[in-house]
Amino acid sequence: MRLDLRIFLIISLSFGWTRLEAQEGIIPQDSVGFGEFLILQEEVPGLNYRWQIRDKLLPEVILSDTLFLFAKTDSGYFSRPIEDFGKLKEMESKLAADSLDYTLRLFVFADEFKWEGAREYLANLVRNGDYMPVFEERDTSEDLVVLAKKTPYSPFLKFKLLFVSDFKLFIVTAVIIFFFTISTIMIIFMIILKVRKSNKENLIKEYEQLVIEPLTNLLFEKDLEEINAMKPDDFYSYFPSDLLKKLLFKEVLIEKIIGLNKKMKGEFKGKLKLIYQRLELDKMSIQSLKSKKWHKVAEGLVEINEMDLVDALPEVKKHTNSDNFHVRSQAVATLLNLSEKVDLNFLKDQTFPLSDWQQMNYLRIIKFVSNVKPLKLEVLFDSKNQSIRIFGIKLVRMLGRIDLIEKLAMISQEVGKEEQIEILETYETLGAHMEIDFINNCLKSEYEDLAFAAAKAAHSLGDTRSVTLIYNRLESEHLSFRLRKQFLKTLSALDHSRFDQATLGTSDPITKQIRAHILDPMLRHV
Amino acid sequence: MYSFLFYFLLEVFGWLFLIMSFSVISIYIILMILSALEMRDYLRKNRFADYGDIITSPIAPGVSILAPAFNEGKTIVQNAQSLLSLHYGKFEVIIINDGSKDDTLEKLIESFELEKTSFAYYPEIETKPVRGIYRSKNISYRRLIVIDKENGGKADALNTGINIANMELLACIDVDCILSSDSITRMVRPFMEETNRKVIAVGGVIGIANNCDVLDGTVTHYRVPETTLGKFQVIEYFRAFLMGRMAWSRINGLMLISGAFGFFKTDLVRKVGGYFPKTVGEDMELVVRMRRYMEEHKIPYKLGFVPDPLCWTEVPENEEILSRQRNRWMRGTIETLQLHQALRLNPKYGILGMISYPFWSIYEKSAPILEITGLLYTLILLVTGDFSAVYFFALLALMYFLSLLVSAFSVLYEQVAFNNYKDKKDLRKLIWMIVLEPFTVHPKIVWWGLKGHIDFIKGKGGWGGMIRTGFKKAEEKKTIQTQAVN
Amino acid sequence: MKKILIIEDDLLISSLVQFRLKKDGYDTHLVQDGNEGVKAIDTINPDLIITDVMMPFRSGIEIIHHAKKSQPNTPIIVLSSLGEEEQVVLEAFNLGVSDFIPKPFNPNELAIRVKRALQ
Repeated sequence: MRLDLRIFLIISLSFGWTRLEAQEGIIPQDSVGFGEFLILQEEVPGLNYRWQIRDKLLPEVILSDTLFLFAKTDSGYFSRPIEDFGKLKEMESKLAADSLDYTLRLFVFADEFKWEGAREYLANLVRNGDYMPVFEERDTSEDLVVLAKKTPYSPFLKFKLLFVSDFKLFIVTAVIIFFFTISTIMIIFMIILKVRKSNKENLIKEYEQLVIEPLTNLLFEKDLEEINAMKPDDFYSYFPSDLLKKLLFKEVLIEKIIGLNKKMKGEFKGKLKLIYQRLELDKMSIQSLKSKKWHKVAEGLVEINEMDLVDALPEVKKHTNSDNFHVRSQAVATLLNLSEKVDLNFLKDQTFPLSDWQQMNYLRIIKFVSNVKPLKLEVLFDSKNQSIRIFGIKLVRMLGRIDLIEKLAMISQEVGKEEQIEILETYETLGAHMEIDFINNCLKSEYEDLAFAAAKAAHSLGDTRSVTLIYNRLESEHLSFRLRKQFLKTLSALDHSRFDQATLGTSDPITKQIRAHILDPMLRHV
Repeated sequence: MYSFLFYFLLEVFGWLFLIMSFSVISIYIILMILSALEMRDYLRKNRFADYGDIITSPIAPGVSILAPAFNEGKTIVQNAQSLLSLHYGKFEVIIINDGSKDDTLEKLIESFELEKTSFAYYPEIETKPVRGIYRSKNISYRRLIVIDKENGGKADALNTGINIANMELLACIDVDCILSSDSITRMVRPFMEETNRKVIAVGGVIGIANNCDVLDGTVTHYRVPETTLGKFQVIEYFRAFLMGRMAWSRINGLMLISGAFGFFKTDLVRKVGGYFPKTVGEDMELVVRMRRYMEEHKIPYKLGFVPDPLCWTEVPENEEILSRQRNRWMRGTIETLQLHQALRLNPKYGILGMISYPFWSIYEKSAPILEITGLLYTLILLVTGDFSAVYFFALLALMYFLSLLVSAFSVLYEQVAFNNYKDKKDLRKLIWMIVLEPFTVHPKIVWWGLKGHIDFIKGKGGWGGMIRTGFKKAEEKKTIQTQAVN
Repeated sequence: MKKILIIEDDLLISSLVQFRLKKDGYDTHLVQDGNEGVKAIDTINPDLIITDVMMPFRSGIEIIHHAKKSQPNTPIIVLSSLGEEEQVVLEAFNLGVSDFIPKPFNPNELAIRVKRALQ
């Protein structure tokens, strides 16, 4: 009977707390709660229950119900021991429907216990870890978070590895894709480049064959005047007309004409130049000066230079201070070569330092043109650019411009040490005896390179004052090996007795070595 | 607990190798692009260069060619002869007989009518004693200087030459190299061209002369060597010179100029104290030291590189000799990197410290170690049955393809730029080599490199604590000397 | 008709020379590299050889060597952009070439020298 069960559960409330520990604390401590808890568990090992019915007679339906299997005893009917607490409600409702006088009996194995005893048993099981209590109905619809909160912690190493190795897969795939895309792009790019290049090369070969005939015909069959007097149509008829519109064909023509111009002499040069102009290739050369690509500009400059396209000079001039080394060099070279009068002012105003390479090229051209055109070198001395001033002084020496020594003497006092060194070298090469005062002055310098250059110049230009200066410095100062060697060399050339005086008496081994070196006939001519 | 550590290590290594392979691929692709750009620019510039002038121009710098010789009696006369016949105006040939046990010196004296002179020079760099300096009575050999000294190794011999050299530039070469007659003009150009920066050194390409026809100091007909090791080295030299150094020179990151063919500014070499004789990697060490000097003094500078084929040498096709060479290279690299640890990731040293140094320590020095570890790692994964072994096989395959790509590109560069190996058969041989190389020769190279590491740790070649103190002494000596000069 | 062999790698130059010499009534043969040149000397049996000194595959010096060995009486004219004082050119003269024409040159002048050499 239901009421009975309730009383049985309510009584339990009046009992005090039993000793509890953490895990078992989850087992409810009131009889009703405990009952619900057991129902939730469905089965607990060792724990079972029986129904007792006190009525004298049982309805046939209940008696024959295999769920109960009631058996008659002295104290009424007893059901079989049932382990499934999940059926408790269902069974109770059956019994209640027939308004029977029923009671629930709890057993641990075969022994009957009060609900507290049964609870104590279950708590023990939980405490020893022999039983995992169920907290919720299995078909739960409750919040997952609540579920998780109740799940006891256990470390789960595998989970992390799995995650990372999947990430690795991602990275590896990314690397592979990256590699293959890049290499495919590069290979395709290379193939395109190669195909284009070989196509172009084939075309160039073809065009090279095609330009031979018209050029030889024009060069050998016609005079300069005849070419000049030809009507445009007649002139163009020498060339394949459809190809003349093609850029590549024109480029081949340019290259070939320039190549011939370099290798031919005499009247042929004039004819080539005329052909070049009549084909309007000169316009192309001038056009390429406006290109954004530096190598195009440089090529244009070379063409202008080779074909003497004087008309283009104003355009060329714009490039003399270009950022690009090669454009700058070619522009200056072209200007030097083609200008009517070599005006070095544009060089003077150049702001970039002159490299040795440029100096070498300009020197060659200036040397060449200085034979035919007047050259005002001295403007370079006023340049704000030190490397250009130095180049100017070098030019005096390399072109043998003795007439400019006076100019050099005028600037020699104000200029920096590097320029003074150049001036000394120039005096030495040109044999400027009249400038001995300057040389002697420099001999006194504390700046080693300057004193060295002065000593070298004094070797051929020195006078008695140089001898005294050198001798005194050798006696009184500790000079570097290089300077000492040069001083002694100069001294031996100017005044041998002073040289003996400086080297023979000394105990210094290095001076002795230098003396031996200077006197060694094997080393004289080197 | 142990299994956790094991898995943890696997994890860490896995990540390391992933990062490594990714960076290797990126770096090589960047190198390929850089070298292609540099090559394009070089070829473009070359069109505007007129080398004819440089031979006679008074503005061109003088060059002292330094060629150390040790027991070269059989070939020395011919080699000296070909050095003397180089096309250039202002140069001298200094042959340093490094205490040869054979008749090297006698042969030279006899053939070039040499006589001992009282040549006086200042031994700015300390070297083994010099027994004599010889010059020729014959005016046609006026360019030749022969130094006879006690044996002290290549670096010491070069240092003696540096002390005596009279010219602005030094050309340090192996005496048995074949030099093309215009090699000086081409190598001198970068020194002359620069306007805003000082060019401190210029390196060149070294070609392989094995199996080639040589006439008048130039290789006239190229042929691929017969042996596997020979063919391998052809490809390797393409990769190293045309791709690697070309790319590095574009970003001014060159750390090595080959000792067999390199040009230097004389005054700077003297200033930094010349070659360091206590390391087996003296060529690399000198370049690093020169760069370090420039960085520390904040002078803008540049290292040049000339890709034209100008110098050829016979490479060893014998396994034993090659293994010793590779072992020495590896030790030289380790020693140089150890000596200049101050550069490591130091922004003060710019590209040298932030890019070149780390690259060398990871991809050149540690490469064999990393490769072996990677292989072991994959094996362990296989044994433990870890699924990620598949990825690592994929990565290995990827590395293989990368090596194919890189080698194929360097051969392609050679074909596009110079096209020396004209025979189709030769090309086919090279391509076969590229495909097989990672399985046949590469493992050997890795092994020799590892042996270099082992020998370094064991202290072969006079390293250990010695080299450090030795270097310090050289440094100290340097400061004392400069003080004395001032 | 006299046979002239022209060995020169620049096709345009050699074509020009050929054109000019044909006008004078010579039978001319063009070859573009050293290897071909050596072969042609033996097969064509020319009365005169015009050669460059700097060429692919084989140097002009080798060609001169070969020509002097197999046909010592055939005159050889060297056409080159190298200066007359260059080592190679001196070597060529030593080997017994009959004439040297430096580039830049004038084809008409070349024709005259050819005529003289063949007399």
